[in-house]
Amino acid sequence: MTLVTDSELSRRAAPADLASTERVRLRAATWIGDVAAWASRRLGRGSGASIRGQVMTKLAPDAFGQLVRGRRIASVTGTNGKTTTTHLLAAAVREALGGDARRLVTNADGANLHYGIASALSTAPRADIAVLETDERVVKDLIAKGRPEVLVLLNFSRDQLDRNHEIKFLGRSWREALEAAGEDGPVVVANSDDPLVTWAAQKAPKVVWVDTASTWSADAALCPNCGGMLDRTERSAEHPTGAWDCPDCELTEPQASYAVIGDQIRLPDGRLVDPQLKVPGKFNIANAACALGAAAEWGIDADTALTGFRTVSAPAGRFSTATIEGATVRLVLSKNPAGWSESLPLLVSDPVVLAIDSVAADGKDVSWLWDVEFEQLAGRHVICTGPRAYDLAVRLSYAEVDHEIILDLGQALHRVADGPQPVDLIATYTPFQKLLKMGGLR
Amino acid sequence: MSPDESPAVPTPADADRPEDAALPSNPATDKPVKIVLIYQSLLGIYGDQGNAKVLRKRLEWRGIPAEVVLVEPGEPVPSDGSVYLLGGGEDNAQTTAVRLLKADGGLFEGLAGGAVLFAVCAGYQICGKTFTIGENDAVREGLGLLDVTTVRGPERAVGEILTRWTKPDGTTSLISGFENHGGWTTLGPEATPLARVESGIGNAGDGTEGAVQGKVIGTYPHGPVLARNPELADHVLSLALDVELAPLPQVQDEHDGLRRERADFVRRHR
Repeated sequence: MTLVTDSELSRRAAPADLASTERVRLRAATWIGDVAAWASRRLGRGSGASIRGQVMTKLAPDAFGQLVRGRRIASVTGTNGKTTTTHLLAAAVREALGGDARRLVTNADGANLHYGIASALSTAPRADIAVLETDERVVKDLIAKGRPEVLVLLNFSRDQLDRNHEIKFLGRSWREALEAAGEDGPVVVANSDDPLVTWAAQKAPKVVWVDTASTWSADAALCPNCGGMLDRTERSAEHPTGAWDCPDCELTEPQASYAVIGDQIRLPDGRLVDPQLKVPGKFNIANAACALGAAAEWGIDADTALTGFRTVSAPAGRFSTATIEGATVRLVLSKNPAGWSESLPLLVSDPVVLAIDSVAADGKDVSWLWDVEFEQLAGRHVICTGPRAYDLAVRLSYAEVDHEIILDLGQALHRVADGPQPVDLIATYTPFQKLLKMGGLR
Repeated sequence: MSPDESPAVPTPADADRPEDAALPSNPATDKPVKIVLIYQSLLGIYGDQGNAKVLRKRLEWRGIPAEVVLVEPGEPVPSDGSVYLLGGGEDNAQTTAVRLLKADGGLFEGLAGGAVLFAVCAGYQICGKTFTIGENDAVREGLGLLDVTTVRGPERAVGEILTRWTKPDGTTSLISGFENHGGWTTLGPEATPLARVESGIGNAGDGTEGAVQGKVIGTYPHGPVLARNPELADHVLSLALDVELAPLPQVQDEHDGLRRERADFVRRHR
């Protein structure tokens, strides 16, 4: 049975038919990549997706280009929310495909660079529908080589400034890629609350605007088009940061088809739906609204999509619960100040555990700790852990939040094992991956 | 105390002062000490607003009332601030900030009245005579508060930085932070370097870091730099209030721990 309302998803695509030499080469690269991934798993070094992709990219340098060709692709990108939104959209597609779900491939593990995507696609050579989490830097290549049908642009905010010096740079690369694709470009589902996303999306042949009621506007003071100071209207429940407009040029917040209103989502027909997600937080309602917009482009009605969404509870380990060192821990991943600002209100336990690292994957500069309102934790006890626990401890002292430092992750969790359970924990990328492993979740 | 410091007793109080001058306050009035954080939405992408939080708490913990006034574009910059703060941001934001600050005038009035300006990274650059923006190196006029000029350097300076700062009493202390800047800054005769680079790039790979001219201090490190270096924070406050401040026991252990951890990290990785 298939629940697709019209012919949108029933049209089958044929993943690129390769020349025989290319096919042999790719197959060999895939096989050797599989062996490397298997070895990596046996050695307990993670899922093996990255190593498989690296091997493949080495042996068949255009593996990415070959594997994305000819598929029907929906891509999800942005600073925060990529993994969860990808899982939601994939779940909606799976629900709509019913018995045909093997047509779907997705990079569910969050490996979203060229080789992560190539790795996921290589595992399903005949799957003609791909829902791909895509790193912000890879979007340009994916548009050029994979010609996605749908592209979800979630948001832009400061992140890993030690390597992304200018936030606008990535927005410009999206805009240029969309401009280059012209009429062949994807339908873009874009967050109209975000001026840089809006500016980038303008070059798409069709845009579905989603008002996400986002609360982070700290990276959107200037107009991405002309550099003028953006005006903002009074804050309201519907617009926590006010609606934005550039007084110096024509860029202005577009009228949205989908809107987050409190805990509900307003659909284009005016109907309000309660998503009742299994993943927590207002930001995930925003992610769901974007996923609804994308699903609709493939003819998946809102009710089918929402049924799919409700099967998603711990995308790539996010929001999962694990038992580590005798403590039952609810694991939240946050990578940057916008993410932390959204996650802190989710913490309900006392004590809470916060884990900070600063290797390349986390961003080497942790000054952003001072852009997060840790003051809201006053009255609770915080265990500061991870290699940059001292930075966090100093931050909490100046926020007058009670805390202690336990550098070792395992010892920090051991410390909270005797208290009330579960214990809420937020971690940056590297400690989060370590915790998933310690909890047997990967 | 930081791990690498020379004297056992920091910041000796001036013996000539009346006893009570060592503690509070904002003499003359009971008004709280005003710390003015300028244009967070333009010059606030690197967490430098933490400098305001640190200064305020370090006053309050000493029993000195303090307030942080956040000024955004379109709002007047108060001229009665004791400390003005500028932080890091992107090129376009720099140009906008200069234009607005010149039109407003409040910062200049405040400085004429004896206030301190502490400026970081992009904020430091705009205090100079000129700086450049964009890939075409367009030259922009700065606020003219520091005798420095900034142009795009041969490489971007990104990473932990460690410098040695000579304090007013002649002893030295390490300043630790994270630098992230494409512009390289050259000092003219009116400005003196804030510190000597031990590890990192600093102003222009020439061994100097930051600039001081009167009560205007410019420096590159984030961290935020005053959270990493409480003695520098207290120096800024001493300059602003014109009093010596006794050392503050609060948070000292954690500051020491953080400074030791960062200094070790830099030495391990250089």
